[in-house]
Amino acid sequence: MTEWARPIAGMMRSSAVTLALGYIGLGIAALVLFAAPLWYAWQVTIQEGRAEILQADAQRLSDVFRRDGPQGLKSFIDTRVSMQIAGERILLLTDSALQPLAGNLAAWPQTVPVTAGNYRIDVELGDHMRHPALVHVARLGTYNLLVGRDNKLFAPLQARFWYGLAAAIAVLSIAGLLIGLITRRALMARIDSIRRTVTAIIHGDLKHRLPTHLSDDELNTLSRTINGMLDQIEQLVHGVRNVSNSIAHDLRTPLAELRSRLEELALIRPPAAQTFAEIDGAVADVDRVIRIFDALLRLAEIDAGMRRSGFVPFDLADLAANAVEFYAPAAELKNIELTFSADAPVPVSGDPVLLAQALSNLIDNALKFAPERGAIAVTVQRRGDGTAEVAVADNGPGIAAAEKAKVVERFYRGDSSRGTPGVGLGLSLVQAVAKLHGKAVELLDREPGLRVVLTIPPDAAASAPR
Amino acid sequence: MRILLVEDNERVTQFVVNGLREAGHTADHAANGRDGMFLGASEPYDVIIMDRMLPGDIDGLAIVEVLRKAGKRTPILILSALSEVDDRIRGLRSGGDDYLTKPFAFGELLARLDALHRRAQGINNESPLSVGDLHMNPLTRKVMRGERTIILQPREFKLLEYLMRHAGQVVTRTMLLENVWDYHFDPQTNVVDVHISKLRQKIDTEAERPLLRTVRNAGYMVSAGD
Repeated sequence: MTEWARPIAGMMRSSAVTLALGYIGLGIAALVLFAAPLWYAWQVTIQEGRAEILQADAQRLSDVFRRDGPQGLKSFIDTRVSMQIAGERILLLTDSALQPLAGNLAAWPQTVPVTAGNYRIDVELGDHMRHPALVHVARLGTYNLLVGRDNKLFAPLQARFWYGLAAAIAVLSIAGLLIGLITRRALMARIDSIRRTVTAIIHGDLKHRLPTHLSDDELNTLSRTINGMLDQIEQLVHGVRNVSNSIAHDLRTPLAELRSRLEELALIRPPAAQTFAEIDGAVADVDRVIRIFDALLRLAEIDAGMRRSGFVPFDLADLAANAVEFYAPAAELKNIELTFSADAPVPVSGDPVLLAQALSNLIDNALKFAPERGAIAVTVQRRGDGTAEVAVADNGPGIAAAEKAKVVERFYRGDSSRGTPGVGLGLSLVQAVAKLHGKAVELLDREPGLRVVLTIPPDAAASAPR
Repeated sequence: MRILLVEDNERVTQFVVNGLREAGHTADHAANGRDGMFLGASEPYDVIIMDRMLPGDIDGLAIVEVLRKAGKRTPILILSALSEVDDRIRGLRSGGDDYLTKPFAFGELLARLDALHRRAQGINNESPLSVGDLHMNPLTRKVMRGERTIILQPREFKLLEYLMRHAGQVVTRTMLLENVWDYHFDPQTNVVDVHISKLRQKIDTEAERPLLRTVRNAGYMVSAGD
């Protein structure tokens, strides 16, 4: 491609210019479609008019012939021819052998039959050029009369018609192209601003937003949608950054302990028995780190929505009963009354492995926070609208309203949980599992205590977000 | 036991092979899928430990599938760094008998190998079980310690049955969670310990020699001897 052709080719690829070109083509087609019948009607009218004039001419000449005889007509024609500018009228009088007697044609045109009627021919006139002409032939006794008109006389009018049409097409093309280019410029300006913003975002600055106006045109609507998406992404990135910070912080503690333990061993070289005890401690530290990783991986797995493929029908009441049974001895040990109630089987569609883990986390939490001789009630029921519900209620300290949003965050540990085992991921997992099944977990006040409700809509798979 | 380890990581290999030899087993090692497949198909091993991620074009699960298609019934334990539930299911579906996630405690691996070996030797689910003077009849669900009848809850019965089927072997908490409760996650607190101590109260009264013992840093064991 040559240098100058490149910008033009680029312009041709622009949708605005393409659209303008399309409209120009359409406009030209409309003009031609409009002009063609007009042209045809015009031609027919002119033709008929001219034929009538020729007929009238012929009539007048035959009147002369009748009144003054052949010689009279001959001199009449001669007079007419000498008076005329050459070529305006074509006149020819011949005898029966087609020998010219009078007129401005040298010979009877070969293409014209000697029969009365109208014919379109090309005739050679005094200037030795061929002119299209309409002729009328009349028979006057044994004489033949030819009356015609050179069509060249109408040429200026026709030319004006064509010029008019061409001018209209030119105006249309130029105006269309200009509008196309202007539209393209305006569009490119807006798209350019979008492109600049997006480039800035690609380079890492998520704070940028696309410019929007009050109007509701297509680009604006698109920009608003993209801004909404950017808000969401920024929030997610922010969340991920927070979680990464928390992970780094939470892993530092056991890793720091592990490091100092090993360093001390290497430095002090204590007797074998003590060394082994220290090694056991080091393994426990590592296990703690691994547990945090496992919990995070599980959360990531749930968040990615991958587990929905594992949805199967099962009885929620049965699952809860098993979990309660699993924790019963632990509750007994703490003198906590752990009760379970379900009216009937509650069949649901979900992930039993994850729900068992979530429920186990909830009961575990309740056991941690319920006071000595406290009470924990696990209930399963189906609500009127078909939603299945499993709830774990305790009479522990509960969660302050201000903390409710935070407890489901990763690594958040409330003041009351200081000193208890755990890494602050339990409720995050419950929340993730709840969301996977369609709805966020509900934390309700019991005064005293907390009631955590996990719900599964009638068709979890269908109504789940994402 | 004669054990084949198919694993490409040298550190893990050394750790496992040394541990197995220490425990009195014979351990062979293959560092890639080709050797692993060849050894597994030609030698009569009691158990095969198969890493999922292997160098080269053959992956662990593919070898398991090939061995199974070739009619090899050797118990296979799949070792993997992938901990997701679906990976576990895929591993077992390909023909593996057990699945262990890296990193793992050696005790856990050893206990699972023992359990696999025991299972492969053919167990009769209905024949009565005995450890010392503790007797269990899986059919009538009757449990006796000497002349004393022990009343167990259904889950306690299942727990004791699993322990007795693996009498003389260490059984880890994870194994109990998976096999007795079908829980494939780690409950934060040691609920299993509480279940065990409750069971112990029922089968080992003060006057009797304790049969259910806790093995430090590993798990539990039911055995008559010391």
